[in-house]
Formats: sequence, structure tokens, C-alpha cells
Amino acid sequence: MTGKLTLKKDHLTAFLRKLSKEYSLVAPLQNRHGDTLFTEIDDVDSATLDLAKQPQNSIKQFLLPQREVLCTYRCESAEAYAFTPADTALPPTVFFGVRSCDLSGVLYMDVTFLHGTSDSPYRQKRLKSILIGLNCNHPFPNCFCNATKSGPFLEDGADLQFTDIGDCFLVEVGRSQGQAIVEKWRHFFTPAEEQDVHRQYQAFLESRGSFSHIVHVDQVIKRLQGEGVPDAIWHQLSKRCQDCGGCAFICPTCTCFTITDAPLTAESGERIRSWDACTFSGFTKMAGGHNPVVRKTDAIRQRFMHKLCYDVQKHGRPSCVGCGRCVDMCFGGTDILRFINMACAGS
Amino acid sequence: MTNSINEIENAQVILVSGSNTTEAHPQVARRMLAAVDGGAKLIVIDPRKTLLAELADIHLAIRPGTDIPLLNAMMRIILDENLVDDLFVEMRTENYYKLRDMLYRLDLDEMAEITGVDLESINKAAQLYAQAQKAVICYCLGITQHICGTRNVQALANLAMMTGNIEKEDAGVDPLRGQNNVQGACDMGALPNVFPSYQAVGNDDYREKFERAWNVALPGTAGLSLLEMTHGGKAGPIRAMYIMGENPMLSDPVLSKVQETLTNLDFLVVADIFLSETAQLAHVVLPAASFAEKIGTFTNSERRVQMVRPAIAPLGNCRTDADIISALSQRLGYPMYYDSPAEIMEEISMLAPIYGGMHHDRLEKCWGLQWPCWDRSHPGTPFLHKYYFTRGKGHFVPADHQPPSEPPDQEYPFMLITGRIYHHYHTGTMTRKSSTLNRECNQALLQINKADAHKLRIRNGDMLEVASRRGMIQLAAEISDQVPPGSVYTTFHFAEAPINKLCIDTWDPLAQCPEYKVCAVHISKT
Amino acid sequence: MKRSPLEDYLPRPAQVVEIISENSQIKTFVLRFVDQHDNASFSYQPGQFMMVSLPHCGEAPISFSSTPADKGLIRLSVRRAGTLTTAMHGLTTGAIIGLRGPYGKPFPMEYLAQRDLLFVAGGIGLAPLSSVINSCLANPDYQGHITILYGSRTPEDIAFMGDIALWRQNQSVHCLLTVDSGSAGWQGNTGLVTTLFEQVEINPAQQSGVVCGPPLMIKAVLKALEKRGFSDKDIITTMERHMKCGVGVCRHCHLDGKLVCVDGPVFNLAQLKKLNAMEIS
Repeated sequence: MTGKLTLKKDHLTAFLRKLSKEYSLVAPLQNRHGDTLFTEIDDVDSATLDLAKQPQNSIKQFLLPQREVLCTYRCESAEAYAFTPADTALPPTVFFGVRSCDLSGVLYMDVTFLHGTSDSPYRQKRLKSILIGLNCNHPFPNCFCNATKSGPFLEDGADLQFTDIGDCFLVEVGRSQGQAIVEKWRHFFTPAEEQDVHRQYQAFLESRGSFSHIVHVDQVIKRLQGEGVPDAIWHQLSKRCQDCGGCAFICPTCTCFTITDAPLTAESGERIRSWDACTFSGFTKMAGGHNPVVRKTDAIRQRFMHKLCYDVQKHGRPSCVGCGRCVDMCFGGTDILRFINMACAGS
Repeated sequence: MTNSINEIENAQVILVSGSNTTEAHPQVARRMLAAVDGGAKLIVIDPRKTLLAELADIHLAIRPGTDIPLLNAMMRIILDENLVDDLFVEMRTENYYKLRDMLYRLDLDEMAEITGVDLESINKAAQLYAQAQKAVICYCLGITQHICGTRNVQALANLAMMTGNIEKEDAGVDPLRGQNNVQGACDMGALPNVFPSYQAVGNDDYREKFERAWNVALPGTAGLSLLEMTHGGKAGPIRAMYIMGENPMLSDPVLSKVQETLTNLDFLVVADIFLSETAQLAHVVLPAASFAEKIGTFTNSERRVQMVRPAIAPLGNCRTDADIISALSQRLGYPMYYDSPAEIMEEISMLAPIYGGMHHDRLEKCWGLQWPCWDRSHPGTPFLHKYYFTRGKGHFVPADHQPPSEPPDQEYPFMLITGRIYHHYHTGTMTRKSSTLNRECNQALLQINKADAHKLRIRNGDMLEVASRRGMIQLAAEISDQVPPGSVYTTFHFAEAPINKLCIDTWDPLAQCPEYKVCAVHISKT
Repeated sequence: MKRSPLEDYLPRPAQVVEIISENSQIKTFVLRFVDQHDNASFSYQPGQFMMVSLPHCGEAPISFSSTPADKGLIRLSVRRAGTLTTAMHGLTTGAIIGLRGPYGKPFPMEYLAQRDLLFVAGGIGLAPLSSVINSCLANPDYQGHITILYGSRTPEDIAFMGDIALWRQNQSVHCLLTVDSGSAGWQGNTGLVTTLFEQVEINPAQQSGVVCGPPLMIKAVLKALEKRGFSDKDIITTMERHMKCGVGVCRHCHLDGKLVCVDGPVFNLAQLKKLNAMEIS
């Protein structure tokens, strides 16, 4: 006995259909323009599941929505100002096909939102989330999760972890909710044979060897914690940053947000939490216009130091999961891959 | 653009003139930077030290409005250094000798003196550009919004033709368009002198074609230019206007004149997505659907016609522009029967030859097609003028220096340069509604050089009164080494500081493009 | 492991019971929670701050100028700077605002209680310090001597005159004022707040310096205290940043690897020296 299971690929749709009866189901779907995105599935049979391409979004937006109502308020008069909590929960939801990088992203969000303080809106959603991971057999051109140690295969973090081993998925049971699913729909799963496990090892070995970039994440971390990198690098990057915030929005671990009021009428409104980016100058600008982050260079520096130095000091690992999305997204050439390469080139 | 945007990435030399590309066209700047990463050389001509100028191999910080002397000097050097592409000039162009004779008459030292740039830098730039196998010129409103805008463009064209940097992939002359669909608007004949596809209204064949198609009589003379319309005054020739998605009350020069004209119209209709400064003057405001609420096409800088699809249904009572126009036309006694925007596109493809092969079903399946696209089987045209110029032979038009109409003097000692910033778009009708963009920048700032600020005892953030002979506005100071001493810079996005109150009401006589870029101002602390 | 406190971002309504106009730019708001439970369970320490809500204005962090000894009443002093604070200045007694908190690391009150204290403040910066001063004065065990140096731009800008008058009556308090530029009729000191150092007794062995004001003033005072022999841990300041969550998540108040809302806002110079803060660099 290996303790691992298999699920026939032919039975995947049927399995998802079962899940969709009990849970909301989110998976990478291809839309009609050919883009693959994590999307909530309305109807399992008409959805085009795409497990071959990297979804353009991570599942961050489901746990930390781009725009979320924290509470509503009424203010009929100065003496009648009152808040009503908003529903920030999520229906019980299964996230299917979450690749290792994105799964690591969720684990990082857990640290951010549930340790130190416990962020109620996040917690309510996270408690209702079941993660079904998908090990990555074929890293994509900009991927470097091997260097950030967040993939391509993960052993922990998911409730169920899937690996494509040909005509079936090898299924590893992780956290308790995974066990419950396997027990509930027992007839879908067959105990895995030795050879299935070998096929998984084989896939892992091949995957590990097929990254197109060699990225020295460890080296850059060491540098940032030690002597640092030359100022010229920050200058060069900041001159090229186009200030679009795309890197932060697309990143599975960028969780900076802002809180603002969105008036609905003169007498009522919503308090909104929405994504923000530390590269915006308004991110740190105080009322009255004073800004403690004086130069663009400092904002850029903060972004990379946070991911590759401060989080290592605080949590023992970088908060870049090597998904490569910002490399695609960034049109100034200020992405983390370029930074790491620049920082390492000088050594 | 004669090129496609992606071609910029493969150029060996990129000459950028009058374009703050990283702020105004970040997607184009991205290709420039990629080219630079790949070893390309970047030359930037700009009075200001823009971000792109800082990244350039050569920055030619000319005095505002001295583009022609600079370009002529470059061409003279190319001539002297024997870097002219003689074969290209011989085979593909005409009137070269006139240019050459003019260049031979130039005094290079005098040209350098006029531009304020040292001759050695001009020399370096000229040789760099001329020696490249593939060089592109990108220009923007810093070239066109001058009294000699057309001549400026012709000078750039002379430079490109003289060195054979046109007619081939990765080399050409590329005006960067300022709006997602300004190219499309021009293509569709939103110009006073042409029908769609640049078919002159004075040409009987073209006119008859459109008269047959539309079943109406059409005038054979050119209409009025923008300024002739919005500067008509109290008793202007136009008595009623229907303005769509345009905000002349902030965007046109000499706003007092625009206001006088618009408020004295018999009837003003404005269709816009928000109640803009112009819409506030209208008798009737038609709420229009935004880009995210409609089907159709936009034509971008590289002549690429792309589908736009609705992300959401129109909000409230908004209707799409096509819908509004059809309904209006119906009530005015000229029914239009289009079942869909695709059907409108079918009519375009029949009447506008450069759009001949553009159909929604084709455009749906790809990232758009670049005109000219003559028929259904035509793949579109990534770069223009292959094998021959559209007009036949490339015509050299020698250009002489024409100084700005209002140079600084004792009374108005500063040269005001106007432009844009990254976070706001045009008159801010949309962007000033975004809290994130407003957080980045929510006020007009007047960039002033440290030396000038010191002289006038101006500190960062001080409120300033900026006056020209036409008006006065107030805005805050930003001390910056981006502007040279003697010049100041600001943007036209902010209704609180409407810079076009100050602008001069002169324009390029050939294209009727206002001289937005430069005028003389006086600065004092409030 | 300590259980993390749950943050739901829901402000609690509090009523303005009194408004004190400190100068043309600063008002002090005396507040009480509308819900009696909130009043009973609420506790805080000097140096902490509240997130204040006003209709349609979002939130802004404001530090306490009151002391926990002022049972049931919270004082927040607010300088008019942005949208929210401008709206707040328009309030009248009886108005309701939203409050959530308290947040942030307080001043090391137990340690300070054993020390002579030198307070150096500029403008609104006296607000958080007055919380410490009044806490010490209300503490029967506090035996030390208190020196207060307070700088304002002009005589008209001198705020917190009510507190200053009370302190001046107190034997164990020495309070000096200065203005950057005097006006006709001003008899007092003129010059930066650091010039007052000449007029008071400095004894770094027994004294701790507590500083708050505009960044440039903080910078100058930290330097001056260091020069006079104060140890880094006896030079303490509190910092202002653009905070949004208050609980160390949103990261608006980042300061190198620290977050001012949870790692501060109170820092001593030893901590600051490890950071790239504008208050010292």
C-alpha cells in the first residue's frame, strides 16, 4: 500500500460534477477568447477546463477580492452615523487545479492574514476553501518555482494533491478536508500501485529538469541580507518602472490593500478594501502631501526587499513563488526576474 | 505610423522627437526600451530631460520650437559625411536637389546656436542615425503642435528619405497617436477635406461614389477645421453643434474664445460618458455608452483595426454612439437601418478601400488587421510604402526655420511648454474619476528649473500665478531639473488650472494644428 | 501560541462630547463610545492610535492625546491636513464618528516611570506626548522630574495652551516654549526647539528623551539628544505614516522590514538606526 490513490482522467468530469453539487467550484477554464483563467464554474459540462496552460490569474482574487465591501454605513445626519457589517464569507468552495506556485501563494497569504492578527474577511473565506493542487509537469517559459522552492511539486499545503501520470491522476491526501472528500466519493478512487508512484517520481524528475531559466534566488537573498545590491540597480529599475501596478495585482502573494469609502448616496456608502501596489507614490503619501518614500527608487527597493529579504527574515522564506506572471505582465522590464538577474550579475 | 509598433524593437537606432513616450505611450516606450536592451541606440530630441531622455544615448535638449534647424543641421552633416543613401534617393524620391541646395547654404554653427545644442552632439546623432541599417523616427505632438508643425514633419521625412530609412521593415517614420481611436476617426473622414479612406471631397469620382451610397448630395469643398468651429465667436459660421466624446472647453486653445463660441450657439448637443466641462454648456446632453459597453472597432497608431467587445451592458439609459446617431438620424428624416455594428463595418469596407477587407468576422479571429487591407484575402500591411511610396515618389520638401510666434520677452520672460503626465489622460473626463489615479496626482504642477525658482524665491508647492497675454491661471510649483532654465512645463489635464487659457491662438497654416506647445508667460507667487 | 486577535475592520460609533480649538489648525475632540460596553471594556496606552472614520472620508490614524486615566473619555487631537481631518474640523458637539483600535506599540511606560523625562515636541507632535506626560503626572508612583520643550511656528500657532497652563502650575514640571518666528508682543523664546536645550538641565544618566513633531524637527532633535550623551534607547520618538489597516497587513506604513502600525509607531533610536527612516537619514 502506498497510501496514495489514483483517479482516472476519464472520470474527472464526473468527479467535478459531484463536487459542484456540494461546493462552489473554481478551476482554470478557457474563455471564448482563448484565455485561461481561474473561473467559477456554472456548469461542469459546458465549461472548458484547461489544465495545460498556466492560468493568467492566481486564486488570490477569490480569497482577497480585488474589491471587497468590508461594511456599509449610513449617515443621515452627523448624529446618525452607523456601520453594518458586510457578508465577507465565501460559500464552501473547492479550488481545483491549483498549481504549486499558487498553492504556495495561498500558504503565504495564510501567514500574512492569519498570524499576528487574524483578518476576519480573509479568515471567513479561507475556512470555507478546499484546495485541490496540481503538480506541474511542464514548467512554463517564465517559471522559476524551483528556485523559490515553491514547486514544481508540493508535498504539503493542499487538501488533495493531484499529479498527472498519464491516463490518470495520482492523488495524495493532504489536509483533513481532502480526506473527507475521498471518503465521501470513494468509488472514484483506486489505491495507487507502486508503478503509479514511480510514474509520479518520473514526472517530477522530468519537470525539475525542464525550467528554461536558471535563477539564483538563494544568491540574491544572501546578497540582500548581507552587503545589499548597488544603488545603480535600484535606479535603473525605477527609471524603467511604468507605474502600472500590474506586477502587484497579478502576483499571488502581493496582498497590499487600501481601504476607502465609496459613497452610494449622500446618506450611505460602502467601506471598500481593494488591491493596492507599493510602487504607487500615493501608497505612502500622507494627508497634506508629505511622502516618507521620497523617491521611486525607494518604492521599487521596498517591493523587492519585501519579497526577497524582509519576508525571509520574518518567515524564513521569500514571498516570491516563482510563477513568472510579473515577467509577462511588466512592460517596463522591472520584473523580479530581471532584478534577480541584475543583482546576481554583479557578483 | 509607417511601421508596426513591434518593429521598433528591431530597430538599430531609434530617434524620438517631441514625444514623452514613457508617460504618453508606455506600450511604445516598452518596445523602445526592449530595443535598447538589445543594443539599439536611442536619440531623444526634447527640450525637457524626460525619463526617456535620461535613458538615451544622446539627448539633444533643443530650445522649444527649433526642430527644423536641428534636423537641417543633421541632414547637412549627413551630406558632408557622405552618408546619403544615393540609390534610394535616386530610385524612390524627387526634388532632392532642392533640399541639397538648401542644406549647402546652411551655416552649421548658426544652426547649433539657434537650437542651443552643441554641434558635436548634433554631429554624433546625425552619424548614428545615418549609419544605421534600420532606424525609426518616432514623433508626437512636440513636433506637430507648433506653428511650423507640418514643416517639422516634412523635415523628419526628409531625414528618413535621405538615409533610406523608410519603405522597409523596422525602419520608418512613426507619429504616435494620442488616443485609442484617433487614427480610426481620421480614417473615417473626421477631417474637413476627405471622405473615409482619405478620398478627397473635391474629387468628383469619390464624391459621386458616396452620394450614390448614401443617397444624398455632398459638398465638394472642404469643411471647417476644428479651430474655425470652436473659435467662431459670438456670430460664428456654425450655429448648432453636436459634440461627441470631446471636451473643447478644456482641450482647445484660448478657452475664453471657445466658451464665447459655444455659449452663443443656437443649439448645442453633447454626447459623453460624464458631464464634462463642455457638456455643462449643452442644451441637450446625451449619455453615451463607454468603451466597455459596446461592440465595434478601434484603430490604433499602427493602423491596426481591433475589435472591442462589451464587458458590461450599458449602464442606466446610456446608448452607444452608433445607436444615438441612428436614432437621431431617423428623427431628422434620414432613417439608418443597421442591424449591428458588423453591418456598419460592411458598408465601410465597401466605401473605404484601405478597409476593404476588414470585416467583423475576420477581426474576431485575430488581433486585428492593419490597413491598407484591400480585400477579404488581404493579410493587412505591417509597414507602409513597400516598393513605392503611396503617392508615387517620395517628395523632398526643404523646410526653413520658423520661430515660435510668441518668444519670451521682458514682460513674459518664460517659455511655457505643455504636455501630459502618466496618470491622467487628456482632459481627465475619465481618469480624474479614479481615486487611485487622483491619489497619484490630483493637481496641476508647474515644473520650474531650480535656478529660476531660486531667482523668484519659489519653493516647492508654492502657489503661482502664471499669466500670458491671453489669461491667467493658478497652480503649484514643482522644482525640477527636467526643465531647462527659462522654460516651464505643465499639463492640460486639470480643469482647476486650465492651461489652454494661456495658449496662443496661432496655428500651423497647413494643418490647422494649434501651437499648443509653446507660448510666453509671466510667473509670480500668489 | 498566543491566539491572534480577530480584526473585522468594523468601526464603533463614538460621540463628540467636547471640541477644544487648540489653534487655527488643531482641534482636540473629546469622545465617548455610544455603546456603554465599549466604554467599559476599552483600554489603551500612551503612544497607541485609533483609526478614525468620518462619513464618505474613509479612515485616518490619530494617536491619543488623553491618558488611560481619563476614564471613559478619549481625546484625539487633529491637525487639519487632508479630506478626513478637514471634515472632522467641521464637526460640532454631538456628532458621531467611527473608531477602531487601539493599535500600535505604546511608549515603554514602565521604564519611563523610573526616569526623569525630557519631552521635545513641535506643533501637533505634543499631542501623543501629552498622553505620556499626563499619565506620568497621574501616576502616584512617579517620582521623576519632567521637562517639556515645545516649539511652534508662530505665537498664534502655539497649541494645547490648556495643558501647558496646568503643567506650568506643577512643581515637578518645567515647561518652555519657543517659536520659529516671533511677532509683535511675543516676549518668549525665538528659534528652533533645540535652542531651548541651553536653558534646561540635561542629565542623560537619569533622563530619557521623548520626541515628536515634523520629520525634519525629529531628525534635528534626535541628533541633538545623541550629541548630549543620551543613549540610543533613551531617545524615543513616535512616527506618523499613511496607515490603512492598523494591524500590520496592508503595508502602507512600511519602513524597511518593519511596519509602523504594529512595530511602532513608537521607536527608540537604537531601533531606528537599523532602519532607513526619513526621521534619521
